[in-house]
Amino acid sequence: MTSRPEFSAQTLSVLAALCDQPSQWQHGYALAKQTGLKSGTLYPILIRLADRGLVEACWQDEPAPGRPRRHLYRLTSAGLASATGALASAAERAAEQAAAERAGAGKPRAGVRPRPAARGAVAG
Amino acid sequence: MAAAGRGAAWLLPPGRRDWVAAVWAEAHEVPPGPARLAWRAGGAWVLAREALLLRRFGRVALFAVAASAAAWAAWPRPGVGHVAEGRFSAIATVLLVAILPLLARRFFGTASPGRIGRSLRVMCYAAILALLPAWTFLMVFSSVLPVKPAYQRIFCNDRCTGVPGRSSGGPPWQAEILIMLLILGYVGVTIFLTSRRSQVTRSTLAIGTGTGLLFGVVMFAVDPLGLNNVATNPWLPGSMADPLVAVAWILLFGGPAAAAVLASRLCRGPDGVRLPYSARIGQGIAAGVLANGLAAMFTTVLGTGTTLLMLKSPRLLHWLNHGRAMTPFVTYRYEFYTVNHTGAYVLMLMSFPVIGLFMSSLAAAIANPAPCQPQVRPSGPGLPMTSGE
Repeated sequence: MTSRPEFSAQTLSVLAALCDQPSQWQHGYALAKQTGLKSGTLYPILIRLADRGLVEACWQDEPAPGRPRRHLYRLTSAGLASATGALASAAERAAEQAAAERAGAGKPRAGVRPRPAARGAVAG
Repeated sequence: MAAAGRGAAWLLPPGRRDWVAAVWAEAHEVPPGPARLAWRAGGAWVLAREALLLRRFGRVALFAVAASAAAWAAWPRPGVGHVAEGRFSAIATVLLVAILPLLARRFFGTASPGRIGRSLRVMCYAAILALLPAWTFLMVFSSVLPVKPAYQRIFCNDRCTGVPGRSSGGPPWQAEILIMLLILGYVGVTIFLTSRRSQVTRSTLAIGTGTGLLFGVVMFAVDPLGLNNVATNPWLPGSMADPLVAVAWILLFGGPAAAAVLASRLCRGPDGVRLPYSARIGQGIAAGVLANGLAAMFTTVLGTGTTLLMLKSPRLLHWLNHGRAMTPFVTYRYEFYTVNHTGAYVLMLMSFPVIGLFMSSLAAAIANPAPCQPQVRPSGPGLPMTSGE
C-alpha cells in the first residue's frame, strides 16, 4: 500500500517555484505566473506553508513609487529540506507510474473481453 | 473593491490580515482588466475562507465548552450512589455527540446544504447536552431517601432501603445503556436525514420540522411535567379529555401521515423534476419520522426543563398548584411524583418515531400509488385479442 503524499500537486508546484531560487524573495504574482495558480488558490497554500514554518514572509522595504509595499516569500531551511524531499519523491512516483503504464500498454486489461465480431457479419 | 477588502480584513485575526493585504497589494502588479479583477476575486475568496475557518474553530470551541459544562454538571457528586454508571453516562454521551458526526461524515458525507439541516443538527446536539445534566439532577432527586418517616412512606411505598438523606444514584447499567442507544439513534438518524447521502430535500426537512414543532408545542402543553394527569394540565385543571389532548392524539398519528403526503408530493429533484416513486416514498417517510422524533425531543427537553425549574422555583410550583395549600409534605409528594413521571418522556422518545415511521410509510404509499408496470405481451402470432380490448 502506498503512503499518501504529504503535499498536493498544487502545493508541490508552489514549492518547486520557490525551490528554483531558494535564497531569493519572491512575489505572489510571480509565483502565480510560474505555477499557473489563481490568487484564491495560491495564497491559502502560502498561508498553510507559513503556518507550518516552511515558508517565511516579509514586507518589501522600499516599494516602487506610487505602488503599495509587496509581500515577499521564500523557503525557510526546514521548508527547503521538506520541499526537496517532497519533490524528489513526487518525481520518483511519477517515474514509477510511467514505467508501469509502459509495461501494461501491450497487455489486455483484466476483465475486459475481446470485442465480438460485428453482428451483421455473424448474421450474414 | 480594494478598500472594502482591506476593511473586511479586520474581521480576521492580526496574523491573517497581512495575507489579505498582500493579495490586494499584489493586485497592482497584475495587468488591469479581467486578470486584475480575477486576482481581487481570489483575494475575496482568501478572506472568506479564512473567516469561515475562524467560524469553524469558533463552533468547535463552543461545542467543547458546552460538552464540558454538560459533563461537569452530570458528573456524580460525592455521596451519590451508582457512581460508575453516572460517570459512564456523562463520558459516553459527550463522546457520542462529539465523535458520531465525524464518523458519519465518512459514511453519509457532509451536511446537506441549507440552513435547516444544520439547524436540526445543532438543535439535536444541544438538546442531548442539555438533557444530560437535567436527567442526572432529576434522577438524584428522585432517589434520595427522605429523612422524615412520613416522607419515607411516599418514597418507599412499603419498605425502605438505603441511608436516609443520601441518594442511591441514577439508573442501573441496563437503563444507562438503553438511554445511550436512544441517544445514538436520535443523533444517527438526525445526521443521516440531514446529510448529502440521504438526499432528503429541503422541502421535506421543512415539512417534517414544521409538523414536529407544532406537535411538540401541543404535546408540551398537554404534558409539561411528564405523562402525569395529577400534576399536568395546569391550564385546564381537572379535565381528562380536554381539546388539547384530542389534538395531541390526532397529531401523533395524523401529523406524520400528513407530513408524509405533503413531502412526497412536493419534493422535487435539483432541476425541479419529479422524483421517482421510491424516492418520493423515502421523502415521505423521512418527513414523518422527523416530525414525530422532533416532537418527542422538543417535549422532553421542555418538559424536563419545566420540572427542573419547578424544583428550583417555589413560585412556579405554586402557580402550577393554584388554589392548593402547599404544606411541606404536600410539596414533597407533588415533586416526588412529578419527577418520577418525567421518566415517561423516555417512552415518548422511543415510541413516537416508530409511530411516525409506521404512519408515514402507510400514508406515503397510499398517496403515491406504485407506477403500473408495462405489460409484456408475447410477440408471436397466435394469441388473439379478446373482444372488448
